Amino acid sequence: MSKLKKRAGLALAATTALSVVLSGCGGNNNEASGSGSGSGSEKPVELIWYTIGTPQKDVDTVMAEVSKYTQEKINATIKMKMIDWGDYQQKMQVLVASGEPMDILFTSAGGFDYVQNARKGAFLELDELLDKYGQGIKDTIDPGFLSGSKVDGHNYGIPANKELPQLEVWRFNKNLVDKYQLDTSGIRTLESLEPLLKTIKEKESEVTPFGMDKNFVPYVPYDYLVTNMPMAVKLDGSDMKVVNILETDEMKSALETMHKYYMAGYIAPEAATTGSTSDLTTSGKWLLDRAQTQPLAENLWSASYGYPVTTTPASDAIITNTSVQGSIMAISANSEHPEKAMEFLNLLNTDPVLRNMVDSGIEGTHYEKIDDLHIKNLDASQNYNMPSYSLGNNMLLYLNEGDPDDKWDQFKKFNSEGKASPILGFNFDSTKVATEMTAVQNVKEQFWASLMTGTVDPATFLPKAIDEFKKAGMDKVIAEAQSQLDAWVAANK
Amino acid sequence: MAGSFFRRFNRNKVLLLMVLPGALWFLFFSYLPLFGTIAAFKEYRFRGGFWNSLINSKFVGWDNFKFLFNTDAAFTITRNTLLYNIAFIFLGLVFSVGLAILLSELVNKRLAKLYQTSMFLPYFLSWVIVGYFAFSFLSMDRGLLNHILGYFGVDSMQWYSDPTYWPYILIFVYLWKSIGYSSVVYLASILGIDRSLYEAAMIDGASKLQQVRNITLPLLKPIIIIMTLLAVGKIFYADFGLFYNVPRDSGTLYSVTNVIDTYVYRGFKVTGEIGMSTAAGLYQSVVGFVLVMVSNFAVRKLDKDSALF
Repeated sequence: MSKLKKRAGLALAATTALSVVLSGCGGNNNEASGSGSGSGSEKPVELIWYTIGTPQKDVDTVMAEVSKYTQEKINATIKMKMIDWGDYQQKMQVLVASGEPMDILFTSAGGFDYVQNARKGAFLELDELLDKYGQGIKDTIDPGFLSGSKVDGHNYGIPANKELPQLEVWRFNKNLVDKYQLDTSGIRTLESLEPLLKTIKEKESEVTPFGMDKNFVPYVPYDYLVTNMPMAVKLDGSDMKVVNILETDEMKSALETMHKYYMAGYIAPEAATTGSTSDLTTSGKWLLDRAQTQPLAENLWSASYGYPVTTTPASDAIITNTSVQGSIMAISANSEHPEKAMEFLNLLNTDPVLRNMVDSGIEGTHYEKIDDLHIKNLDASQNYNMPSYSLGNNMLLYLNEGDPDDKWDQFKKFNSEGKASPILGFNFDSTKVATEMTAVQNVKEQFWASLMTGTVDPATFLPKAIDEFKKAGMDKVIAEAQSQLDAWVAANK
Repeated sequence: MAGSFFRRFNRNKVLLLMVLPGALWFLFFSYLPLFGTIAAFKEYRFRGGFWNSLINSKFVGWDNFKFLFNTDAAFTITRNTLLYNIAFIFLGLVFSVGLAILLSELVNKRLAKLYQTSMFLPYFLSWVIVGYFAFSFLSMDRGLLNHILGYFGVDSMQWYSDPTYWPYILIFVYLWKSIGYSSVVYLASILGIDRSLYEAAMIDGASKLQQVRNITLPLLKPIIIIMTLLAVGKIFYADFGLFYNVPRDSGTLYSVTNVIDTYVYRGFKVTGEIGMSTAAGLYQSVVGFVLVMVSNFAVRKLDKDSALF
């Protein structure tokens, strides 16, 4: 018995010692923060910047160069930490929840959800800082971005200035289009694809006529409240009613068409469980698929696949919450230097020298200039290959070889032509119905991919899915969303 | 008293040093995180570090547990988790003990090693890879199984959208991957059995079968009970990799592939509520704990020496 007590005592002592060590660490941190903000005006401040993308070899080298520049301009140095695409969401979740020191972090509708984490308190509210240090941002980037990325009326991040609306297109493998002299001019709706798919199915047995993975959703003129959840509002803004997208006539008829195509063999039999179609695009054994576009996207696709790709529109260009929140830099709620972080973001989005250094690396090492606008990547650029879209104002970037001089003007034109979704700026808060959302999400995963890819017959599965959604509490979620939307509409009149 | 403690400490210090890594591992990854369990009763919001956030988050009582019981799915996932694990425990036991006995009876020891190694190998494969193995058999248009069926004039099957056969497929894949490993444990204890027992039995004219029944199995009983008790403690944890990767997350199969772990994962892809996922984990541990206590109690009633504690 006494033996046991001894052991328990030892364990307790160990735990206590450990917690002292732990809290000691915490204490140190606080002290550091105190002294940092107190005498920070003299010593340069180090900003820790988390961003998405495959970690690059030369990040530290480039950031040393960037730091020289920023130290001169705003008396701050930059430490960048990259987290790979697939890990970003999960690792950031842990880093933020555990209070890891960081100043600036990447967030978006897709990776480390912007709205949700803003509401959970991960990001600093930027309204005041933006007025004080972010004038440059307000002047340069499309106002649609700043207004569209407000959560409950406040800004929590600086969106990257890039393509603003979301435009869906049909992409065609031009080799096949030319070979069989297919006419793509009249193509827009899902139904209009049929003759093309039929020709290829008959003539090219090795080719998958309609390429898609399990994330494919037929286009219907609705905007989704939460990405990939079935609650949606009609895009024409006629009624501002939240509906289950599966109960709409448009989706019903689209699903019937999809099933017809699936049965005819236009779609790969395993589409509902296929994660990526890169094998199709690499081998060129596809006729058409659907994608989101931006100006000059055809050139990018053709260059990366090695054969020509053409497109025709499949929807209107719509500015949605998802498109506005595609790439955002936020300041961490834990940041010890929020003012400096804001100054840095302002510089990043307005200063071409800094923006291009962050994007392309060091001149002469990673790239060289061809003329005033264009650059050419050097061999070392593979050690510093950054995703441009994620890092800030795109319209300051040098152009690549072969890009037309007016590339960014085309972007500005594209942006100005986008129509705003009626629910742009409304962000559904699911906290009150979190229990139902979990159940609804599970039902969605159960039926979604097989319905959307046409794998199952909507005549039997659609009613079943709708019924399961109801049982999972869909009506409660929709009612909650509707009341929030009504309040938002009333407040924004 | 203190003196005797240090004397004993001194005498066992090498052994204690060997225990240290494991003890530290448990301290850091099992005991310290216990405090985090509080998150199951909180609506977790970020505010400073983890402890600060935890303390400052709103207390919501049992709200975080509701999602596990509120819907029809609750029945399906609990049933699937329990039935699959019962099948895994039972069949796993039968097959790995059987395998261990067969291996121990092989006369050619080199061949026995070869069999053992080749059956052990799948244990090291990740479920993602096993998922692709299964896909190469079950793919609709390029799968081996459909080719074989076609050879016999049977129509191609849509394996990934027909739930009928999946309970068998999952159990088969699980056994294929795991019995090699668990049979090693049994094989080791069989090899530890005193050979003279078998020699005596042979002199008495006992057949192989009788030897197995009257010597091997009774002497294996304690280890079988321990292994089974440990497995019972995890009966509410499903192997996420198996149930997520092998059916390729195909929605139409959920009625037979959705288990507690996959349900929780899918649910939180959207809401990301830390409190609710902690609640799910806590629920699984508590039920597992209760089951271990109950089954240990039952074992002790039947045979005191075989109980774990």
